[in-house]
Amino acid sequence: MKSLHTSGLLVALLLWCSNVVALEDELTFASKDQEALYRQLTAELRCPKCQNQNIADSHAVVAVDMRKKTYQLVQQGKTHDDVVTYMKQRYGDFVYYQPPLRASTIWLWLLPALLVVGLGVVGWRRARSSQTTGPNAAVTTQQTADAELQALIDAATRGKSRD
Amino acid sequence: MITEAGYLALVLALALSFALTLFPFYGSLKRQMEPVLLARPLAVLMFIATAFSFYALSYAFYTNDFSVMYVANNSNSLLPWYYRLTAVWGSHEGSMLMWLLMLSAWTALVALLARSLPLILQGRILGVMGLVCIGFYAFVLLMSNPFERSLPFYPVDGRDLNPLLQDFGMIIHPPLLYMGYVGYAVPFAFAIAALLSGRFDANWARWARPWALAAWMFLTLGIMLGSWWAYNELGWGGWWFWDPVENASFMPWLVGTALLHTLSVTEKRGTFKSWTVLLAISAFALSLLGAFLVRSGVLVSVHSFASDPARGLYLLAFLLVVVGGSLTLYALKMQSVRSQARYQLFSREVLLWGNNIFLLTATLVVFLGTIYPLVHKELGLGSISIGEPFFNSIFHILAIPFALLLGLGPWVRWKQQPVTPLVKPFAFIAVVTAVISLGWVSLYQSFTANLALLGLLLGVWVMTSSVAEIGQKLRSFGGAVGLKKLTLSHWGMVFGHLGFAVLVIGVAMTKTFSVEKDVRMKIGDTVKLNEYSFVLSDVYALKGPNYLGQAAELEVYDEGIKITHLHAEKRFYPVSRATMTEAAVDASLTRDLYVALGEELPGPSWALRVYVKPYVRWIWLGGVLMALGALLALFDRRYRQRSIAE
Amino acid sequence: MRKWLFFIPLVAFLGLAVFLFSGLFSDPHLHENVKVEQAMPAFALADLENPAKTVTEKDLLGQPYLLNVWGVWCPTCNAELGFLTSLRAQGVKIVGLYYNQPTDSAFGEQFDLPTLQRDVARKLAEQGNPYQLNILDKDRSLIFDLGVTGAPETFVVDAQGKIRYHMVGDINPNNWPQLEAVYQQLVKESHAGVTP
Repeated sequence: MKSLHTSGLLVALLLWCSNVVALEDELTFASKDQEALYRQLTAELRCPKCQNQNIADSHAVVAVDMRKKTYQLVQQGKTHDDVVTYMKQRYGDFVYYQPPLRASTIWLWLLPALLVVGLGVVGWRRARSSQTTGPNAAVTTQQTADAELQALIDAATRGKSRD
Repeated sequence: MITEAGYLALVLALALSFALTLFPFYGSLKRQMEPVLLARPLAVLMFIATAFSFYALSYAFYTNDFSVMYVANNSNSLLPWYYRLTAVWGSHEGSMLMWLLMLSAWTALVALLARSLPLILQGRILGVMGLVCIGFYAFVLLMSNPFERSLPFYPVDGRDLNPLLQDFGMIIHPPLLYMGYVGYAVPFAFAIAALLSGRFDANWARWARPWALAAWMFLTLGIMLGSWWAYNELGWGGWWFWDPVENASFMPWLVGTALLHTLSVTEKRGTFKSWTVLLAISAFALSLLGAFLVRSGVLVSVHSFASDPARGLYLLAFLLVVVGGSLTLYALKMQSVRSQARYQLFSREVLLWGNNIFLLTATLVVFLGTIYPLVHKELGLGSISIGEPFFNSIFHILAIPFALLLGLGPWVRWKQQPVTPLVKPFAFIAVVTAVISLGWVSLYQSFTANLALLGLLLGVWVMTSSVAEIGQKLRSFGGAVGLKKLTLSHWGMVFGHLGFAVLVIGVAMTKTFSVEKDVRMKIGDTVKLNEYSFVLSDVYALKGPNYLGQAAELEVYDEGIKITHLHAEKRFYPVSRATMTEAAVDASLTRDLYVALGEELPGPSWALRVYVKPYVRWIWLGGVLMALGALLALFDRRYRQRSIAE
Repeated sequence: MRKWLFFIPLVAFLGLAVFLFSGLFSDPHLHENVKVEQAMPAFALADLENPAKTVTEKDLLGQPYLLNVWGVWCPTCNAELGFLTSLRAQGVKIVGLYYNQPTDSAFGEQFDLPTLQRDVARKLAEQGNPYQLNILDKDRSLIFDLGVTGAPETFVVDAQGKIRYHMVGDINPNNWPQLEAVYQQLVKESHAGVTP
């Protein structure tokens, strides 16, 4: 499959899937809430065929079918989670832009939380320890070498006009 | 002929980058002055050679030389001359050449402008830049050569530039973005040079800061333009999609923002040293990671380049050498560096540390959201998608403490800030913030605790505090004469913070109050959205230089009074067989009216998508203000002084 | 200062590099199908050649088979017809699931059965007919329930009607051995009367 992904195909895929005005003029909703739910769902469900697009903005057949199904389910009074579950049963977790929360994905929330706490503790402790954390490191051999070279440069440029 | 000369110039530039890496290090090793002094002219020569090479490719595009494969694949004789020139960076090979042009330009700028630097340090910085250059020049020459010919058989005409890229925004978006990405090579080189020298004094931070500011300014503008371009060209009214490629530019921006703030701590207080160095390395590492993600095809994105595993492998190896090498150097050298820190819990140091906590956490969130689907799948756990709902939910939370700290920060002194003097001004700021934001939001809705209210509270909090801080500074300087006493970096900070506030308000208002409708319209039909009536007055055929299409004319009325005229296009590019939307936008400070023309339907009627997007301009306005802040700070006099006694 | 802290960035980076490396060799466009190891969804669809007859999942029980999603509009599907026909000659049971591509996906579908039957008959006469049966999924309902994203896609279903394997893309002499191993295993199971 990978060899098929020549630039031409990619561009074709990209254009096929992108920048379309999807038409839903016939869609009527019982309430503002249902319309809002439909809009939210079509923005949050991912087209399984395209590069990286939600189903609202895609023209791929599968995206159109998913929009239609979403509309039907919303019309039937299904909730946000019902529709997402329905889609996931067919197209997997991949189809929803919010990753599921389980043992394998908990790191998505845990690592940022740990970072906040970890850096917070570091900051707290640095500020509390009011003593200096030690003298500057001893002069390194590199610095001695640099100083010698600098002296050389200074000697060479002495006498010339300095900016 | 000139094409071959362009190729040879690139080979020459590669040779020069080797020399640029070797001479300064050899000189400081052998304690000889001359090789170190060679770094400057070598850097300038490398830039000249690269610029010539870029000129040669542009010339091939301009003269429609379709025997050059890259030209044949990305241009067409019907393409207007300005798009022929911008097609140079329309695809992988040419955009890599532009990347090289930028990289050599930054190197030459360091050679020419950083005159206040000690020669040895400058030589070392240029040497590190040279090392980075070697990797990219070799990459272009070995596996992304834009000058390759398809002789003796070549097409009579080219395959045309991707129509998505035939837009003004696309002319300037990649150059600015690349200037930003590549610009982080300079703070990176400063960090590596400092690690090698073992010197991290206030001067080092002061010398490095303008470069970090300049790279950040370009990256900010580049990202903003990309967002603006997507809004106009993609036809779905979106300005940010949390696509991997967008995230790849957002990560170095976040780390770069953190770097700007810690550099000022390192400069003024001589602390946070190891952290600052790590940020400088990370900002560039994330730029390189972005290049890898975009060009290797490991992630699915709307904008990725044609992928090639060999290129991915090369870039990964390069990433390992540069980032792995510098992090190893960091781990070994940084252990012995000590900071002389003495500050209390309520001090500017701690608040800036807080700023860094949230910026770095935001970076980690974006990073995980981008990379984790790959990790999850490679571990055999299945495919997952991470997109807007995930990022938004976390960013809404992170924005609160970040903005609160931001409002407080500029008022708080270094070392220690007593609480009492701040109580009165902040009681005042809090009241003003509450009054303004509640009043503002009531123009649009009855009181509900939603995103719009949160965004306004945070944005107005930052604005009020910034303006009040300037007022307080002026009072303490004794009136308007104080205006002169405020440094340009201070004004830069104020503009940067105001820009952030404007951006936050724009995002929150657009997200909450945007309305859209997909409609089928005949000529003469009206669609009503909020208080606006859109009337389709005409649709007619269109013929451009390299496209055909249809244009729709709409009149917009607000309660019977005509307020504007909109012109939306749908274009078909026969050569690349692609259909494009040119959205019609009527922009104003408080709302955009946006119409995208769709397919023609039987009737005849047309599919249209209509939006009203309140405050969407504020998003880009905020970005421009931030970039302006960086520009002001760049011109601060203290960055041009040789050294300041410690 | 604990010195190991300074190695955290390096270690994190090297860990990342491992995943980036393995990512280079896998196709990010491929996702697993969640229906594998589940029963065929219930359906009642028309036989393409004989629309009066309704086919359900129960009609397909008793023998393992390949369910091949295809359409005359899909060039890759047409390219694999020849090879699939040779498999049929070897005794592999192949059922076609016809993916009806709307002429214009967003607005009203113009569907004409006789035209479609003619197109299909012509294509199969030209390339070979690997199908014991062609199920017409006019509204792509079974296709939707199977989580199909395009064509060609192939499911391997066992004698009890459970989906055991799924692949995207054409079947050709290069990838057939892998699929054949799965298929032959199912044939063995069905002969032994093993219910997995």
